[in-house]
Amino acid sequence: MEFVIEKKKIDKWLDDLKKDFKVIDIRGKALPAKQYFLPPKQKTFVFNKKTKKLSCPEYKKEFLVFGLGLADLEAMTQLDEIMEKPYSDFFYWQKRNKSLIIGLVDESIEVAPGGDVILEKITDQQYRALILTDKGKAIIKDEFFDKKDKPSIKNYPQPDNPFKRMLLDSELLAEAVKWSLNHKIWDKLGEQCLGCGICTYVCPLCHCFSIEDQVSLDNKECSRCRQWDACTLPEFSKVAGGHNFHKTIKQRYYNWFYHKFVRAYHEYGKSQCVACGRCRENCPAGIKISEVLKEIVDDYKKHLSAI
Amino acid sequence: MTTKNIYQPFKIKIDKIEKHSRDVKLFRLVGDFSKNKDGTVFMPGQFVLASHFGYGEAPFGIASSPYQDSYIDLIIRKTGILTSALHQLKAGDEIFMRGPYGNGFPVDFISGKDLVMVTGGCGIPPIAALIEYINAHRDRFGRVYLIYGARTPADLLIKDKLKQWEDKIKVLLTVDKPAKDWSGYVGMVSELVDEIKIDSLDAVAAMCGPGPMIDALEKILRPLGISDRRIFVSMERKMQCGIGKCQHCVVGDKYVCQDGPVFYYDQIDKSWG
Repeated sequence: MEFVIEKKKIDKWLDDLKKDFKVIDIRGKALPAKQYFLPPKQKTFVFNKKTKKLSCPEYKKEFLVFGLGLADLEAMTQLDEIMEKPYSDFFYWQKRNKSLIIGLVDESIEVAPGGDVILEKITDQQYRALILTDKGKAIIKDEFFDKKDKPSIKNYPQPDNPFKRMLLDSELLAEAVKWSLNHKIWDKLGEQCLGCGICTYVCPLCHCFSIEDQVSLDNKECSRCRQWDACTLPEFSKVAGGHNFHKTIKQRYYNWFYHKFVRAYHEYGKSQCVACGRCRENCPAGIKISEVLKEIVDDYKKHLSAI
Repeated sequence: MTTKNIYQPFKIKIDKIEKHSRDVKLFRLVGDFSKNKDGTVFMPGQFVLASHFGYGEAPFGIASSPYQDSYIDLIIRKTGILTSALHQLKAGDEIFMRGPYGNGFPVDFISGKDLVMVTGGCGIPPIAALIEYINAHRDRFGRVYLIYGARTPADLLIKDKLKQWEDKIKVLLTVDKPAKDWSGYVGMVSELVDEIKIDSLDAVAAMCGPGPMIDALEKILRPLGISDRRIFVSMERKMQCGIGKCQHCVVGDKYVCQDGPVFYYDQIDKSWG
């Protein structure tokens, strides 16, 4: 039995869901879905200076994030894994446990990468619902979805993405990036990169953060805020007293790659990249990550065949 | 389902503050610390994240005895916003804390062996905790040396402790700029090696730096014949979360907050700096 929704009914379904949830439609947004679970800035604790009491803001409202594509769904599954290890991240799960994730995918799906429900395109006018969790099941209403035994299903092949193919061999990527420490490409990138951090902000998997206190203007309370940080920014590894463990852009850029392709492989068995292309689209210096990786991997292969 | 909030700090009272040098103070924080089954409240080399609301949170190595369950000592140099704010506090004030975090020195491995400890200036806290641990059952360890360096004699911290420890371990003090009445050593000099009598095949070193580290390594530890695998180093890095999430303290594949702060030297020598 399949649940099929007409394309034109999707927006009405979303309107209906608004009765029970705060609905966030992320189609066309520059920042990825991580922003709703790991916000750019959030208060983690609030200290009242008068009562000397410490409180932790509670998050109560259920919400639904709609419109994630395949890469973003996969990223959310990975981010869940990251936020569970080595300890459960309280503030992430506080929001994540109150949320539903709905994918909208215009290509035929081989393996459902994550989320609660995925709407998969089956004809030019129709999507079928792939229900992945009980929470997801509860929002599939007869009013919007037709039950069909054997709906007609057209094949919409995923466009060929060489970058994505490269990610399949994450072991090779890990070896290549580790090997590349003294590669000339890092000098080039050290010159080219502005160290602005945009690539990490738009990345659906980058999750570095810093913790900073903020005092209200009336001086009545202090908030401990957790906010996005970026390992490419100059102060990322600088300690009080002034010593900076990653002084140059080159060092910081390599460290970023090392995290995504080497450390992530050692920790999780895969690269922390889903080939979504946001870093490439948004880099003001025009750095194309996929091409950087390709150059490193090609040279590594040459190096291997030369031994 | 409620998840435990790993970031939750708890309130802790300052019992007393001692001024130890021009810009360093010792803070004694009182509380009821729960003991582990071996009777310690933390492992020497572990750290806490101490915070003062409005000024931030930062990691500090614990300097008191791991067997002391009614207080812990933090030795804090005034360097940034948080430490400056802490320096303005008085006995009776309250701050916040979470931890202890990190691995600590491998005391079971060190047990039965000779030990040379090297540190400088504000690197003393984790080493001090290690000495207190050793002195609590001195017979379990071989010959024990502390080489403690500072810029000037006035920059040597916890002087009363240094005096007290002399009964049980050999304390060697060295400064870069001696004062007139200084009778100790000047710099991390090779003469220090002559003072140290150890069985180099069964000896371990513990350091907390980075100050005198490289010098000490070249001029003292290597000439003594201690292998890199047996040199344990407590590392300093920027930390925000303390629990392996925020990525600030990472060196290669290691999280200084979780896998460290104590590493053996050949784990980290290539990524030093």
